[in-house]
Amino acid sequence: MEYKVDKKESPGWGEVEVLGETYEEGRPEGEDLGRWRQKLASREEKLRYLENGERYWYGTEWFGSEKRKNPA
Amino acid sequence: MAEEKKEVKSIDPATVEMIEKAASDGARVVFERAATMKPCPIGSEGSCCSMCSMGPCRVPLPKGKEETPEEKRKRVGVCGATPETIAARNFLRKTAAGAAAHSDHGRKVTEAFLLAAKGEAKGFQIKDEQKLLQVALDLGVEIGDRSNEEIAIDIGEMAYKDFGRQEGEILFGRRAPLKRQELWHKQGVYPRGVDREVVEAMHRTHMGVDQDYKSLLQQAARTSLADGWGGSMIATELQDIMFGTPSPVLSQINLGVLKEDEVNLIIHGHEPQLAEMLAVVTQDPEMIEYAKSKGAKGINLAGMCCTANEILMRHGVPIAGNFLQQELAIVTGALEAMVVDVQCIMQGIADIAKCFHTKIITTDPRAFIEGTTHIEFDERKAVDTARAIVKAAIDNFPNRGKNVRIPDVRSDLIAGFSHETINYLLGGLFLSSYRPLNDNIINGRIRGVAGVVGCNNVRVTHDDVHVTMVKELIKNDVLVLQTGCSAMACAKAGLMVPEAAAEFAGEGLAEVCQAVGIPPVLHLGSCVDNARILIAATAMVKDGGLGDDISDLPAAGAAPEWMSEKAISIGEYFVASGVFTVFGAAWPTLGNKEVTDFLFKDTEDLYGGMWAFEPDPIKAAQMMIAHIDKKRKALGIDKARERVLYDMAMRRELE
Repeated sequence: MEYKVDKKESPGWGEVEVLGETYEEGRPEGEDLGRWRQKLASREEKLRYLENGERYWYGTEWFGSEKRKNPA
Repeated sequence: MAEEKKEVKSIDPATVEMIEKAASDGARVVFERAATMKPCPIGSEGSCCSMCSMGPCRVPLPKGKEETPEEKRKRVGVCGATPETIAARNFLRKTAAGAAAHSDHGRKVTEAFLLAAKGEAKGFQIKDEQKLLQVALDLGVEIGDRSNEEIAIDIGEMAYKDFGRQEGEILFGRRAPLKRQELWHKQGVYPRGVDREVVEAMHRTHMGVDQDYKSLLQQAARTSLADGWGGSMIATELQDIMFGTPSPVLSQINLGVLKEDEVNLIIHGHEPQLAEMLAVVTQDPEMIEYAKSKGAKGINLAGMCCTANEILMRHGVPIAGNFLQQELAIVTGALEAMVVDVQCIMQGIADIAKCFHTKIITTDPRAFIEGTTHIEFDERKAVDTARAIVKAAIDNFPNRGKNVRIPDVRSDLIAGFSHETINYLLGGLFLSSYRPLNDNIINGRIRGVAGVVGCNNVRVTHDDVHVTMVKELIKNDVLVLQTGCSAMACAKAGLMVPEAAAEFAGEGLAEVCQAVGIPPVLHLGSCVDNARILIAATAMVKDGGLGDDISDLPAAGAAPEWMSEKAISIGEYFVASGVFTVFGAAWPTLGNKEVTDFLFKDTEDLYGGMWAFEPDPIKAAQMMIAHIDKKRKALGIDKARERVLYDMAMRRELE
């Protein structure tokens, strides 16, 4: 996609170029567009995501608010 | 002469238009029935006992005077049951019925899941491997190099057994914060299987068994937890594995999604299995051609109630309306078939359908309605059943009369905010996290989080209480999570699009929503998906910085237009999970002060959460905000603190 660049006044710097919005115009269509889970293809990737992304339950190195406590 | 005050039945223009059409067509809908059938004042306050044939015994509070101790001693049922026992028994029975409804839904899903895993349900499959692996990790099911189907069979069998677990603890309870689990152990409410808890609840409330209101209410907590962390959670998780974990999806809502030139088919109820098949079959070119051969331009599938939420979240299928609009969809005169399964289906639709051409098709062996067509749904022949239903709807298209009026009212919404998606949206694929949410709560941009859920209730202005409450919450920087008919009310009011943040939310909440690109009101799904709210709350706790338990979070819950027993079960498991929960419309123990005080006050000492009742949505929202502020103060995040950069000397001083 082409990046949109706006020109704005900046104090002390004069006119500067600022990166404009990067989203695509229009309304999303189709049920697949909001889906993100298909980005993870293999089982290994999925398990790694669970260990990291869902570390609250499946992380082995997660030290959140309660891992220091005794088990229930 | 004083002008007669006109009762406002709904804030939704489509609903108002169809109520008027119903009146002119001579169709008697729920709004009219409610005007002539007032609620029983004794039963509505929980002061009537009908547990045996010596009664029913009525023990209402005396009106307009203080009761003497002697009078109170005499105010008992013929068996001597006190008003406390009677109110608590009624409350427990409602909880048990609600828990049973959600959990029987979960059981049916588990049966379909097992058939799918064994390859015996054509059309169903393991769609979300990631969720399968996640649940396998939860349940300790071996993964290794096993096939998805092998893993799924183990998960399905474990889940199936969990419903009838006679001893021990439900499987998903271990997902709760550790401190919460300790509390459940301490209070003796860590549930066994939901079947056991519901049966015990029914036994305890039988004539002459448990007659101590505190003991009865303890069983209410235990039964509800078996629902929220058991039956409902199983339903949500296995549905996600079979049909996909919801991701953001754009769709539309309200009666205006019906189409004048197409075959309109509404799926109404709660379980998603048939709806999923209908979503596929209505896209089948052969069926579309068949519809065209009958003079229609196509087939338009829409949802109603929680089945609608299920297929909205996963396919973007539009929603025709929430609970109080089910009869009105028929009143449009443009509905060829209303396909129903279980829960929240008014028997009145059968009578309304007689005024029009609509076919009411029941599909579940547990739910028949006299005077309607029954086409039983069998997961083993899911595609065939769905085709038969769609064909019946198409065949009915030529019978459509001239009295057709579809309100030109519909709103955009974005749904699909499962816990997994919220986690992903807040951090991305490599940094998925609740940290940005917790940080923005700690820094005060977001004041807290509220779960606003539940039904419609014809005794209050339709949708008004939900929408007014939610607008007040987001105006005060409270992020709102929603499910069920409550979510639909707010979607119709335009609160479930990202643009709503700028228009309705407070400055802090709007900033966060705009940065992440989410609406200030998030749609998490159907009523069994309240389990997703429990998981989101647990993730907030586990991420850190907001206490060690759900009861420490600056959070609150509400069901401002509730009507079904399922709502009581949901509210009770929210409370027993540590959430302050406000109900509107009516409260089923108001006839007894002791039981009401126990639920509204003493319960906080037991579970860290408690109930409240407030029919005014602004006051109710303010109660929730006050509770959120109380929790913020307890966490020490109620005011901005100066940030100090510690040098080494200061650090040494700390040690």
